[in-house]
Amino acid sequence: MRELENTQKIGKTSATERDPNTSDKFMFWLTPRVIVNPFDIVEVEQVSHEGKSKTYGLVTTLEHRTDSPTHLANFISSNFGELTEEPNTPRQGTTIAHVNVLSNDEEIYMPVPSEKIVKFADEEGIQKALGIDTMDPKDRIPAGLIKMSNGVSAVAYVDRRYILGPESAHINISGISGLATKTSYAMFLIQSILQKTPPEEKSKIAVILLNVKHGDLLMIDQRRDKDFTVEEMEMWEKLELEPKPFDSDIVHYYLPKSHQLGRPNSFIEPNFYKIYAYDLDSCADKLDLLFAQVPDTYFTLESIISEIKEGIRNNEQDFKNVRSWDNLLNGPPLFDPKSGKAISDWRGIRGSSIGVFRRHMRRMVKTNHSGIFVNSRASREESLSEEFLKIKGGHVYVVDIAKLYEHEQMLVFGDLLKTTYSLKAEPPEDREEPVPEKIIFFVDELNKYAPARERTSPLTDLVLEIAERGRSLGVILISAQQFMSAVHPRVTGNCATKVIGKSGSAEIMEPDYRFLENEIKSNITRLTKGELLLSHAVYRQPVKIVFPRPTFKQQEF
Amino acid sequence: MPNPLGEIIPLLELLGTEINILPAIGGAVEELSHPDQEEIEDATIDKGESTITEFAELPEPDPSNIYRSTPILSRKQKHLFRFFIDGSIRTYFLGTGIEANRSFPIELSQIGAAVVSREDDGQPKILLHRSKVLLLLPRQNQGISDTLWEELRKLPKPENFEIVDFTLPDPLSDVKSEPRDKAGAKGRAEMHRLEIDLIKATDDYRNNDSWLILDGSVRFIEQEIWDYWREKESPYVIGVAKSFRKDLYFQFSKRMSSRRKDITALLAGLPYAHRTAVFNSDSNRIGFWYVRIREQKEVDYPLMGVVKVEIPRPKMELIPSDLADLISSCLIAERNVTPYGLDRRWHCSLYPIYIAEQVIKNRFYSKEVLMGCIKWPRTKRGGNI
Repeated sequence: MRELENTQKIGKTSATERDPNTSDKFMFWLTPRVIVNPFDIVEVEQVSHEGKSKTYGLVTTLEHRTDSPTHLANFISSNFGELTEEPNTPRQGTTIAHVNVLSNDEEIYMPVPSEKIVKFADEEGIQKALGIDTMDPKDRIPAGLIKMSNGVSAVAYVDRRYILGPESAHINISGISGLATKTSYAMFLIQSILQKTPPEEKSKIAVILLNVKHGDLLMIDQRRDKDFTVEEMEMWEKLELEPKPFDSDIVHYYLPKSHQLGRPNSFIEPNFYKIYAYDLDSCADKLDLLFAQVPDTYFTLESIISEIKEGIRNNEQDFKNVRSWDNLLNGPPLFDPKSGKAISDWRGIRGSSIGVFRRHMRRMVKTNHSGIFVNSRASREESLSEEFLKIKGGHVYVVDIAKLYEHEQMLVFGDLLKTTYSLKAEPPEDREEPVPEKIIFFVDELNKYAPARERTSPLTDLVLEIAERGRSLGVILISAQQFMSAVHPRVTGNCATKVIGKSGSAEIMEPDYRFLENEIKSNITRLTKGELLLSHAVYRQPVKIVFPRPTFKQQEF
Repeated sequence: MPNPLGEIIPLLELLGTEINILPAIGGAVEELSHPDQEEIEDATIDKGESTITEFAELPEPDPSNIYRSTPILSRKQKHLFRFFIDGSIRTYFLGTGIEANRSFPIELSQIGAAVVSREDDGQPKILLHRSKVLLLLPRQNQGISDTLWEELRKLPKPENFEIVDFTLPDPLSDVKSEPRDKAGAKGRAEMHRLEIDLIKATDDYRNNDSWLILDGSVRFIEQEIWDYWREKESPYVIGVAKSFRKDLYFQFSKRMSSRRKDITALLAGLPYAHRTAVFNSDSNRIGFWYVRIREQKEVDYPLMGVVKVEIPRPKMELIPSDLADLISSCLIAERNVTPYGLDRRWHCSLYPIYIAEQVIKNRFYSKEVLMGCIKWPRTKRGGNI
């Protein structure tokens, strides 16, 4: 026991004239042969009103200092630059660790005095340091493992109330870690949320996953082929989670229709799935989403779309015969089939603008589409909005958009958001089953749908609506992208939990990363695959975590 | 945190009430030590020995060739020096005391000494460190009265605190006439005593393969230690001085034709990684020689990069050439790391000695701590002069 205690002692706090310890930061020197890394959590004895207290801190940077005043002195000490010179007494130096104060177990935030022994925090200490001990055990969701340089590991729990509401909500994951790290982490977290939710509560949570790349999420009900390693099993055990794929009886796959008859347009065909398609009827009220990327400086296209939406919805005289895409493009009111010419003026909109609308429309639903636009849906071809108005708690819905054109992806994503939002805001009167209390929505490449642009699109507005007001309705957005700076700041700003993987130094200098201190930022560039930085509303500082690899099957390359 | 020197406040208060004190500007002024203090001391304790005429080496060197090659011998080849001792001093002038018709300086010195040992891998460790705070006052007809001295003596004091009468004789302060200089020299003499004390702490560890380097001269070593060494095979101690007197002459024949060399000429001709012959000094008690530890092209002036080595000869024995060669070769390997930029004598500095010095200086109380306990009572308006 004493031996263990001694091995945990790693240095002594050090305050100098130039580098004082403060309420927020302190420094310590390391005893020789001790290995400490950024993100290790340490503890120091501190005063208290009664007895002693413990101050916990997060190591942010380490620097080696010697008594050499200049590099020239080192050069001279190496016998004027002799590479083989080995001095009898090595130059004296020490490694100094800079630490950000995380917490004090007696809420004492006096600066840590100099010359105090510093130890690695143990598992209990790590959880106290982060404030996990203040979380209600039933609200604790394992979000990964904190691994320290001395081999100690601790579960990084996040607070359910800050993930699913009511305190705060939404998770954003960014980084260039590659090879589905962000998706894998989102899936791990969703699994963790579901596994740690009591059965009676689980049936109140529905999950919608958008598959945007390859077949990443099209086999989530199948166990992966590769056996779990001992290390992986230990990790799952430590996290107190079961390494299993999603149960196939709760998973539903929705794949887009292709040009081929009855075939889906997907990289992988799951064992069971439904095909979705868009006819004019199911798409009329979402035409604006199709045009999300088309520049519309004077809102002319928006006016035409509004007129069409209203016309079809109210079954106006002009639109009585408009029942298909062909009708819309090649018939009245936008086109005169008798003369074979486009109309010159319609409801105060000039013919040239109508022509622009028709050209874009034709490109998107006729000439340049992946097959999801049909004049009339077959009975096996589902309307996503109709399907998602019926979603049930306790189920996982995967919608594949990986092979769709960008405008189609926008339409599908917007359609799902709109449907989900309306389901929660105004549930259909004919719905018999209770609406899920929480709907978790996962989407990768969020920058496509809510880019960091001053001017928003109808789709961005939808994402902003979910980010800003989704929490109160129970719509939770788990989003991911490579660069947080590429996403609208109001979306990321509303995410109470941010997860960051390896990122470039130019990216982390962007204002979106202001919530991180400079010392922590520099560590982000050094994160390796599978390592993430977790910033959670309950934590006083972000921590580095690792998480197990997916349990479900993924497409191999 | 209480002032670590708080215990001396009653003593200073007594002093302040019994005599008139004209405090120094700002409460205390640090006495800046002379940059070549070692050189001055070398000349002081060597007084009377201005020409070296004898060797103390066996076999006796040829006067026409007194340089010997001593190629560098690194720690990995021979780890000879295991212990390093240095002392350091910081002195403050606190004010002028006036008692009856006598006025005198009141000085406070922090002295310290440390012995650093070196492990097999070259890493230094602090083996022992001692420090003292000295209140330096003159006594009797030059300074404070016997009555006050007795009263001061009776007051409780911290363990590392001493009141020292700087009029008591010692080789360093005896040659000073100014009271402030005398007090400073007394402080240095006390520092050397502290260094010497630490030599004793290494007695059990020193042997043929494990020598000690004392920073400066071995002449301060007390007679008691010389007597002890006389019973031993060898003291296994050398003193290495970075600065040394420059007014010595060397003449090894009584013939008029024999040239008399001054030290500059002697050392200018001393090549890198060579030593001079071992010279006799201090009535056969000490042998000394010079070693060039840096190439002349690396330094600005021929006398730079040369250290003076002193070896005690308790039995007045001659020093074997092989031993002087070995010591010199090992000493050359100590030239790196160098405190270039931190010490103007970097070219002849020994890094473990520098580390020992840092150990001492870093443990000195800051001026702020000292000032925290030096609060003289307000002097009477107009005084009693």
